[in-house]
Amino acid sequence: MQYPEPIAKLIDSFMRLPGIGHKTAIRLAYFVVDMNKDDVAKFSSALKETKDKLMYCSICGNLTDEDPCVICRDKTRDQSTVLVVEQPRDIMVMEKMKDYHGLYHVLNGVLSPIEGKGPEDLNIKSLIKRLQSDEAIKEIIIATNATPEGEATAMYLSRLVKPAGIKVTRLAHGLSVGSDIEYADEMTLSRAVSGRTEM
Amino acid sequence: MKLRELKLRNFRNYSDVEVQFSPSINVLLGNNAQGKTNMLEAIYVLALTRSHRTNNNRDLINWENENAQVYGEVEKELGTTKLEIDLGKKGKRAKVNQLEQAKLSSYVGELNVILFAPEDLSIVKGAPTVRRRFMDMEFGQMSSRYLYNNSQYRKILKQRNNYLKQLQLKEASDKLYLDVLSDQLAAYGAKLIFQRLELLKKLQGWAANIHAEISQGKEELKFKYVCALKKKQQTNENDIYTGLKELFEENKDKEIRQGNTLYGPHRDDLQFIINGKDVSTFGSQGQQRTSALSVKLAEIDLMKEETNEYPILLLDDVLSELDDNRQTHLLKSIQDKVQTFLTTTSLSGIARDLISDPKVFNISSGQVVEE
Repeated sequence: MQYPEPIAKLIDSFMRLPGIGHKTAIRLAYFVVDMNKDDVAKFSSALKETKDKLMYCSICGNLTDEDPCVICRDKTRDQSTVLVVEQPRDIMVMEKMKDYHGLYHVLNGVLSPIEGKGPEDLNIKSLIKRLQSDEAIKEIIIATNATPEGEATAMYLSRLVKPAGIKVTRLAHGLSVGSDIEYADEMTLSRAVSGRTEM
Repeated sequence: MKLRELKLRNFRNYSDVEVQFSPSINVLLGNNAQGKTNMLEAIYVLALTRSHRTNNNRDLINWENENAQVYGEVEKELGTTKLEIDLGKKGKRAKVNQLEQAKLSSYVGELNVILFAPEDLSIVKGAPTVRRRFMDMEFGQMSSRYLYNNSQYRKILKQRNNYLKQLQLKEASDKLYLDVLSDQLAAYGAKLIFQRLELLKKLQGWAANIHAEISQGKEELKFKYVCALKKKQQTNENDIYTGLKELFEENKDKEIRQGNTLYGPHRDDLQFIINGKDVSTFGSQGQQRTSALSVKLAEIDLMKEETNEYPILLLDDVLSELDDNRQTHLLKSIQDKVQTFLTTTSLSGIARDLISDPKVFNISSGQVVEE
């Protein structure tokens, strides 16, 4: 016997999500059948709103429901530093830390020719334009991941930006806080030693 | 280090086998296609978590079964270590003393092996890829830093080649990004080349002595690392880095035209030189074999120096490929210090006389019987 059409469609939709296979999709679909109508309505409108109401901030490239985004509009933030991240969700992590009060810029990925991502596919042009037009910016902090692609992207940015006389810094690499040296792997340790700081 | 016990479950043609080995020489005797090499392969897998014969785990698992297991007890200076590799459909798990290791890099190195198979005799004469693979495999086992640098280098190389192709096809035009990739590649390339040079220097010290002995002092074996860098650019990591960067800069247009990275450790080669002459072009068959043997035996000593323990030697059907003089040398140099596993179809001649007190295992269709 075949699934009734609405359920078949629902299963098919769930399977489009990452990490969800056929079995899980079936279980979720039957769960939705038993949910009460209001919850389902909320769920479906939440799904729809992510597409209808969300956009990318025209200044920093972050996901937002108003343009410019909350961070870019906040004049109490430190306007002289811009922290460059790979993904919008990296901003949420940085904000949780509560120690950084400057601005952000989202690249939306890293340079990776294999995945077809060259310099023109990232929000690099908008960063350069921003640095040229906004004289308050004195420093950019590059916070791409410590992968070969992240490193290459950081190097590329620093070479573009440095000639303009703006200070370019990179997040430190090394021991994670609260960890034992004993358990650190050799590569992390060697980075920690070469990036040591004077006391 | 010595492998005292090996248990195999559903590995290749072994369904359930348990063997106790001798700390000196173990002979695996049997006709063709009975499972002699499979047992050496199991030991190799136990050491390096992967096979030298296949890249597909499924090949290692007995037909009709879904999981295979290799278990071994290794005796070292500081006590016994229990190693276990579980192979399944979805992947493999490596355990040290029953504790699963999240990273394979923390497992490799617990048991060090050197494998000598007939195809290793072609190391001198064969294609450059064979010699690069040789360096990468052996040095990677000795140094986890080498392993790491090599894998980073390969990743960046892939990106750079891809970008060069895009530049070639005019899909991209940003030369600044190419420079960044070149610098990154040069940085890891320099680390690799420098480590290769250092380890080759040490390996040459050992190999030259062994070679001189086999040739009764008539021949002097040397290694030459062949790369596009000038000799004076090879003195330290920094010079190599600058040298590679210059090469990339000078040949930028050529590389874009060809859409490929033309310089770096992935293009380098190793030359064997006897009395000043290149063995691969001017050496006799015999000299090529002696060189290959000297290098393999030198590895044993280098591994001892780098890791403080003698490795285990796996000889896959090589005795039959060597003449009496070379057989004698091989067997003499391993006697009493290196635990050895050798496969052969018949044990006769010089080998029988020289091997004192071997433990012989008769292998026949996946069954092992101690003689």
